[in-house]
Formats: sequence, C-alpha cells, structure tokens
Amino acid sequence: MSSRSAQSWEKTPSLPEGHYVGGPVYNDEEIFTDERKHIFGEVWHFVCHESEVAEIFDFRTTERADIPLIVTRGEDGRIRTFINVCSHRGARVVMGTGGNARTHTCFYHHWTYDTQGSCVSMPRPAAYAGSGVCKENMGLREVKTEIKWGFVFVNLDDDCPPLDDFLDGALDIFDEVLPKAELEVFHYHRAEIDANWKAYQETIVDLYHEFMHVILRDTQMPAASMDDREMRTYANGHVTIAGLKADYDKYEGWAGRSDASCFPGLDPDDARFAPLFPAQTFITRGTVMRVDTVQPITAHKCLIESRGLGIKGESAEDRMMRIDHHNEYWGPFGRNVTEDAFAAEGCELSFGKGAALRGIIARDEGGKGQCDSGLRGFWTEWSRRMGRPFSHPNNN
Amino acid sequence: MPASNDDVRELIYRSCRCLDLQDFDGYIALCASEFRYRITLYSPELRKEMIWLNHDRDGLAALLAAVPRHLVRLGSLQRNVTAYTIDRDETNNSAEVLSAFSVFNIDNEGRPSVFAVGHYHDTVSLSDDQPLLVSRNARLASRDLGIGSHIPI
Repeated sequence: MSSRSAQSWEKTPSLPEGHYVGGPVYNDEEIFTDERKHIFGEVWHFVCHESEVAEIFDFRTTERADIPLIVTRGEDGRIRTFINVCSHRGARVVMGTGGNARTHTCFYHHWTYDTQGSCVSMPRPAAYAGSGVCKENMGLREVKTEIKWGFVFVNLDDDCPPLDDFLDGALDIFDEVLPKAELEVFHYHRAEIDANWKAYQETIVDLYHEFMHVILRDTQMPAASMDDREMRTYANGHVTIAGLKADYDKYEGWAGRSDASCFPGLDPDDARFAPLFPAQTFITRGTVMRVDTVQPITAHKCLIESRGLGIKGESAEDRMMRIDHHNEYWGPFGRNVTEDAFAAEGCELSFGKGAALRGIIARDEGGKGQCDSGLRGFWTEWSRRMGRPFSHPNNN
Repeated sequence: MPASNDDVRELIYRSCRCLDLQDFDGYIALCASEFRYRITLYSPELRKEMIWLNHDRDGLAALLAAVPRHLVRLGSLQRNVTAYTIDRDETNNSAEVLSAFSVFNIDNEGRPSVFAVGHYHDTVSLSDDQPLLVSRNARLASRDLGIGSHIPI
C-alpha cells in the first residue's frame, strides 16, 4: 500500500469502461451547455403536484432549463403550462410565485392572457392593423403537460414521446401507494448549492454513501439484509430502489413508528426510491413522501427543490406526525438532505477546478446491497443523450 | 420577584450565544420543562404555513446532543439579535418577546454569508428571578438556506 505518483494518479484506471466517470462532466462549460440542450431541453420534468393548483385559476410559477413557466388550472379544470414570457416584448408576465387569477396581465404594456394561454386583450390594437399582430395570434407558448397520479410533468420539446413512455414503468414502484391516496404538498423549499447538479443527484442513487449518514447507519443499514434490496435500472436512465427498511427508534431521541398512520400499501419501516433521469426523485418512507428536483444553474451551482407530501384531508394529528417525520430526515434542519448537499459541495471543491480527475462507480452486488448499477444506469443514459462517453466525456 | 425586562433581554441574548458556541446544555438549561421549539415560515409558493422543525424540550435536547455525530456545515453560525418588544402579562407572570435575528455563516476561511433572517416569537416565564423560555417560534423571513443546518436557529 502506498501513495500514488502523478503518473499513477492520471493514468486511465484499469477498470472496464463505464465503471468510472470522467471529471470534466462536473466542470466543463461546453458539456454543461450541451446538457441544457440535449437533456434538460428534451426530457419530462416534474414541476409540481396538482394540489398546488387545486382550485380553478390557481397558478404556480417555476422554471425548467432556465425557462420560466406558469402552471395554472383553467376554468375547464385542466392544468396547463405556459412559458412565462409575454408575446409582445418578452417581459416576464407573472412575477409572483403562486396565487389565483382568472387572467394575467403583463406589467409592461398590459397585454392580458387567460388560463388557456390566449391573449384576451391588448391596449390600442388598431396601430397593429395589417401587421399580423393581433390578440388572436399572440397567445402564450404552451408547454406539453401530463399528469401521473397527481404529479404534474412538463416537456419543453413539442416532439417528445408521451410521459408514460419516458417513465418506462419506473414509478410503478409506488403503484400500491399513489393511486390509492389523494396527496397534498405540505412542505416546499428551494435551495441553491455550490455543486454541479449531477453531484447532488448522485447522492440519491449511490447507496454506498449510507456510511456518511449517522441516521442511515443507525436506522437503515442494520434493519434488513443487504440481499433484500432490489435496485433496478430502466430505459431512459431511471432507477428504482426497493426492499429498504428502517428502525427509526435506533436513532437516539427518535420514537418508533410502528403505530404511525402510513401511506396506503406501505409499512412504517418501508423505504422506496425512484430517482428519475435526469434529476427528479420520488421517495416514500412509510409515513411520508418526498419529491426532489435538481436543476442546473451553472456548471458549479444548482437549484434543489424539495417537497413533502401527506394525505389530503387527514387529521391535524396525522399531518403533524408526517411533518415531523419529514423534517427529521429531509427538511433544511433534517439529518439527511443537509448531509447530501454537503457531499455534493464537497465534490465540487475537488472536481470544480479539476483536482479530481474521475469518480469510480465499479461496485457490483448484482443490484443488491450498495451496488453501483443505478449510477451506471444514470450515466449510460447521460452518454446516450449527450453523445459522449461518460468515462471520457471529451473523447480523450 | 418577577424577572425584569433586562433579565428577559439577557435570556434572549444568552440563548443565542449558547447556540453560537454550541453550548447545547447551556441552551437547554434556559428552557422551561414545557418548552416548545418551532421553526415556521410562510410559503408563497404553496400559499401555506409551514413548520420546518418542531420539538419539545426533550426532543430538542436529543437533537442537539446528536449534532457532534453528524456531518455538519463547515464553519460556524453566528446570531445577531435585537429584542424589539417585550409585552408583559403580570397576571400570568409571562412575557411575549419579539426579536429580530440575522444568522451568518462564517466558513472555514473566515468568509461571512447570510444564512437566515427572521424573528423570534418567544414566550418567557417571569415567575422566578431567572426567566425561562417557555416557547420559541423562530419565524423565518428568508427561505433559501443553502445546504441547511443541523443546528437550529
């Protein structure tokens, strides 16, 4: 055993291609630009839960791939999504984060749009006579929107495949849960962290990093056999992880959850993950659900959005229990997500300026235990969409 | 003799100093047995109130005791607090105290950044010479906390 020379450090590892990730994927500006176009511009993105726009004319604003979006429920009850940009001079139409409005009027010249995206009025239109500029032609740009079990997804590519084709059954890991319960978002936070977006998403798929988290060492790793775990990879780079268990009272100060009111189809000690490509994660622990998205801001900064969900109409006592269980793990003061973000920022410190040359994803446990097969599935899809091998992304 | 307003102010400042120094036993000693701690805020996205942390005295003590086992943000959090108003209820020997807080993160290289901004809504027991925190609602005005924190505000 010895330290390594520069030659040893820089040499291509004697691992199969696809068992290591080249460092430039985390810091190369050209790769970052390509990701925005070939990945974020073309995949289905989870944007919100339908409970966030529960009433007619409710709206939420958000963004995907740097494109500002309005998600709104129309008078016909249908949820639609539009690019939040005025057809006139390109100003942002809706400035707020959410609300309820029958129409949206651009602050700049008062062009007004309804919840179906139609331009319904513009002041003094006669001056456009003969130009083709008229309210009938000047609606908002609609974005493809589909809903799966209450989760609203959008795709910026008008020629994209249907959502179910993209999902390839990856959310079926929740098919005993989600169709049977009407859910409601009770927690939302967004946070910018100093890390490449993939570094954060990898913490979701990388089960080997359980060792980093005290709560997982205490509650999850000893709770069930590593052989009971099942990690599956899907077309389009999605991953599911089932067979995880947790004994929550093994963490000092936490109560057991055996009597807790669970989600339908789940036991209190169940944990299931579905990290969808590229960076959207659905997780249930027996009593509560979390949905995360990660979006690139720069090659060195990303935006995490995190939601906690309970069951609509449940008692105040059950809701408080779910909030507490959510926050123990996942809130900004929780014991888990904070550490994942720390890990992503820690990788940025070394990959960001090229000190780290590669990451190894060579663990093979046949989809059990702490196998890296999920990471390899993610990176295989990344390569397919990017036209670059992830082990040597600059083809060197 | 009921605690004075100066005593109340000192309690608020001392509680923050204890958290700054990670003197968690010292912090808990300032809390009454029925203490309730919450971090709350309003989400304009959801148009709902949210609770980001909710503990009784024992739960908070356990959470704080576990901090050294965890992988926590680098550097330290420093609280800057001003007690704005103290509304005394002499009948019940208690006071409602509103304070403003700004929490700065000082990283390992000594660089400061704002971590969180908001107000404490405290209920303080005045029944003894030594006032105690009966409840604290750390009400956040800012909502993006970066990687978050294992240590409450």
